[in-house]
This record gives sequence, structure tokens and C-alpha cells, in this order.
Amino acid sequence: MADPSAVDVVDLRKTYGEVEALRGLTLQVPRGSICGFLGRNGAGKTTTIKVLLGMTRPSSGAARVFGLAADHAGDSVRIRQRTGFVSEEKDLYDVMTVDQIVRFTARFYPGWQKDLEEQYLRTFELSRDRKVGDLSRGTRTKLALLLAFSRGADLLILDEPTSGLDPAATEEVLQALVSHVARREVTVFLSSHHLNQIEQVADRVVIIDRGQAVVAGGLEDLRDSYRRVQLVFDAAAPDVTPRASGIVSTERRGRVLTMLCRSGVEEVLAELRPLAAASVDVMPVSLKEIFLESVNGDH
Amino acid sequence: MLWYKAWLDTRWRFVIPLVVLIVNVWGLILEYPPVGGVLHSLQVQPDALIRSGALGRAILESIDAERTYRGYIWYQWFRNNLSQLAILFAVLLASGNLLSGGAGTLFTLSLPRSRTAWLTTRAILGLAQSLILALVPSMAIVVLSPAIGQQYALTDAMVHAVCAFIVSAMFFGLAFLLSTIYADMWRPLLMAGGVAIVISVIESQLAVNGPFRVMSASSYFSDGAIPWLGLVLSAVITAALLYGAALNVARHDF
Repeated sequence: MADPSAVDVVDLRKTYGEVEALRGLTLQVPRGSICGFLGRNGAGKTTTIKVLLGMTRPSSGAARVFGLAADHAGDSVRIRQRTGFVSEEKDLYDVMTVDQIVRFTARFYPGWQKDLEEQYLRTFELSRDRKVGDLSRGTRTKLALLLAFSRGADLLILDEPTSGLDPAATEEVLQALVSHVARREVTVFLSSHHLNQIEQVADRVVIIDRGQAVVAGGLEDLRDSYRRVQLVFDAAAPDVTPRASGIVSTERRGRVLTMLCRSGVEEVLAELRPLAAASVDVMPVSLKEIFLESVNGDH
Repeated sequence: MLWYKAWLDTRWRFVIPLVVLIVNVWGLILEYPPVGGVLHSLQVQPDALIRSGALGRAILESIDAERTYRGYIWYQWFRNNLSQLAILFAVLLASGNLLSGGAGTLFTLSLPRSRTAWLTTRAILGLAQSLILALVPSMAIVVLSPAIGQQYALTDAMVHAVCAFIVSAMFFGLAFLLSTIYADMWRPLLMAGGVAIVISVIESQLAVNGPFRVMSASSYFSDGAIPWLGLVLSAVITAALLYGAALNVARHDF
């Protein structure tokens, strides 16, 4: 039976000298999902991607893509046969023309989709005879996406694909991604620190902080499970530390006591009822709030 | 496609040296009639030159060798110009980013080929280019010599060119290994070039048998003996250096 996960990472660690880039990262990306991989700069996103693509060897732990071991040389080639990758730097061959790099890349992939190549050349207004080194950052990103999309990959790994792009170009890139995914069964692992972009396209989210996954799950599930509970008192808010298990953080400011709850809001409300607050509000939480709470706490 | 990429990365470092070497050979051939005339009319006192030290001995060796056309070509081309330039160009071909030739390393690594495949392709192409750089200008001597009424044996050209290639390959291997350690092009180039200069100085000062004597096949020129031991040793060292480069790239984190 096929592995239900496109990406399966267990207790992954990577150390560069004294620096621990990954500290026991565990995550799964189900097949067919668009998984947003969120984290601050230096959280370990790019290192994780490099491990998955065999560019960096893990210090310990396991990283599997389509059930294949990412740190095994032979498996790594098979993983890359099925994966499209766009690096943060949009690292391409500057000396080639657009036409040369497209033909060059196509030869590595028997399932290269010529129709998609033609379509994206038109959509992205890429001129075949332009030198890659002369392309603007936005056009370079579009070319990198064309090269990733047209190879008929089962998995797209996109590392900060919109970094350095203006809002119009960013929107164009995201739209291209969404329409590509709508057209064919593909898993997307999208690294970014732009929360609005992830909210726009992803159905799953993994938040990484200091080399560990601190939040993982379906985007809707996360939105449903997280709630902000706000209590307003007639006088100064009491200095309490609720014992309910789902509380992620508590903040007391003047007459207002605010708590971010991951689950069990009813339990929290029951515990707070004796405090006799003047008003109690339970509010939905944005991904941005979940992210900030997750990466600002101590882990 | 790997060959195509390796060719794109190295084509100018191959074509320009090839032109330079052929022009150099042509110049040497055209210079022979006047130089040969001067050498024939030269009155030398061997004892005085030998007594004057290393420089005098070198002048005497040069004059002795260059009294014939075969000796002139060996001394000027195979012993001097080709020995130096073949190493320089081999080191140039082996230096720099071996996986992408510049920008694009991550793109290269994201393609479904192993690092070993990329590296092997680059090494084989670089060595083939080095062989052509040694062989083609040397063959040109055979072809162009009749233009000045001289003959140069094909066998001699082949033996000397192959010896030059095999020893220059050792420096190719050194620069190749260094290119897997340093990200830029210049450090491998300068370090491997520096090693070649140090070896040549030691060899000439101490008058010992070293890579440059094997490279010019002086034993073949003087008594027809091919320096097998030196050639085999060079090939083994080259293989070890290239293997080291492959190991280094395999364990490298990008």
C-alpha cells in the first residue's frame, strides 16, 4: 500500500558545528495537500527542505519522501525525479537562455509536459531567447516555477517562492500555483514567513521554531480549535494562572485578562466563572496570532 | 545533458587555450629557420658553461638539444612551453564550481542525477579537454613542419603529448580536489599553480627526476625510453585526487 504521506519526517536533527539548525523536527505532509511551512528566518525551514532533497545530510533522525529515504543517494535521485523545487534564491543557470534551460531541464524528466511549458511561457510572458542572468527577480521566479511545474512532479517544494517580489508579482505567482494544483494531483510543501500567503493557498500548516515543529495540522482545524478568551473586569484583572490544559498563553493588562486557548474552551470558561468578570468574550483567532504565540513562547 | 552542461561551463576555458597553443606552435615552427641558423654558427665552450653553474648548464643543454629540428621542437615546445601551459590550462579547467560552473548549484542538486554523476562527467570532460590541448597542437607540429622544409615524427609527437597530458592530469586532479573544498575559482587555481611552480623550482635546482622531466619525456628524447614509472605514478596520484574530490562532494552539505 502506498505511503499516505508524501513527506514524513521523524525526530530530524541537523547540526552545523555548534549550531543546531534542526532539533528533533517531526512532521507529515499528506499526499495531495498544500502544506504551508511557516517559521521565522533561521527557524530551520530551508535546512529541512535541503535534507528532503538530499542537499544536506541529517545528523540524526529520518526524512522520507514518498517512502524513500532522503539521505540515501539512490533514493534521493528517485525523490528528485518526482519533485519540483524552487529555491529561495531562484538559483538557475545565468549563462543559459530561457529556451536552453527549459530544454535542458526537460531532458531529465520523461514526464515533461510540453503543453504546460508552452502555457506558462505565454502566461508568464517569458521570452525564449532572453538570458536567464538578465531576467528580473520576478521573471526569474516565474521561470523557476515553469521549470518546477512542467516536469510533471508529484511533489512541489517551494522555498519562499515569493521572496523579493512586489505584490502584483506575488499574486500572479500564487494564482499560478493554485491553478496548477487545481489541474493535477500534486502535493505542495510551501515554505514561507508570509502568513497571508499561506492562508490564501494552504490547507495544512506546520509552524517550525528553533528547529522544532510547534504547531501542525489542517488550517481549518487550527482555526476552529484556537480561541481567544477575553475577560473584562470592573476593577483590575485578578492575577490568576488557570490550570486548564488548553491554555497557550495568558496576558493581564489593566482590567482585561486575555487567554489564548488551543482546545477545551469550555473547561477554561468553567474555571474562570468564579472570577465574576463583567464580560466574557470568546473570539476566533487568525493564523497570524497562532503563529506569533507559537514562535514567541519558550519551547 | 550532463555533458552539455559540463561543456557549457568549460568551453571558453578550452577553446581559447587551444587557439593559444596552436598559435604558439606555429610561431615556434616559423622561428626555427633563423634560430637554427644562429645555433649552427654558434661557437660554445662547454667547459666554461659547465663551470659557470646551473644557468650555464641549462644554456649548454639548450644549445646541444636545439642543434637539430627534433631537439629544437622538444626543447622549446615539449620541455618548455607545453609543460608550463598544459599545467596552467589543466588547472584552469579543473577550478571553480564543479557542479554548476557558477550560479545554479541548488538547481543542479535538485535535478535527478547523483553528485557523483555530475562530478564524473565534469572530470572526464576536463581530462579529455586536457588531452586535446596537449595532443592537437603537438600533432599540428607534424602537419606544419613541412611548410619550412622540416619533418617531425608522428610517434615522437604522440609520446611527448601523452606524457605531458598524464602529468598535467595530476595537477588537474589537485585543482579538482581543491575546487570541492573552496567555493571560488581563484584559490584552487592559485594553490595548484603554486604547487606546480614549487615542484619545478625544486626539480631544476636539485636536478632531480620529477614530474616535469616525466612530462617532457626527456628520457624518450635522449634514448627512446618512455618514463613508465613516472607516468604510472602520475596516473595513480591523479586517480587518488579525483577519488578524494568525489568523497568530498558526497559528504558536503550545500
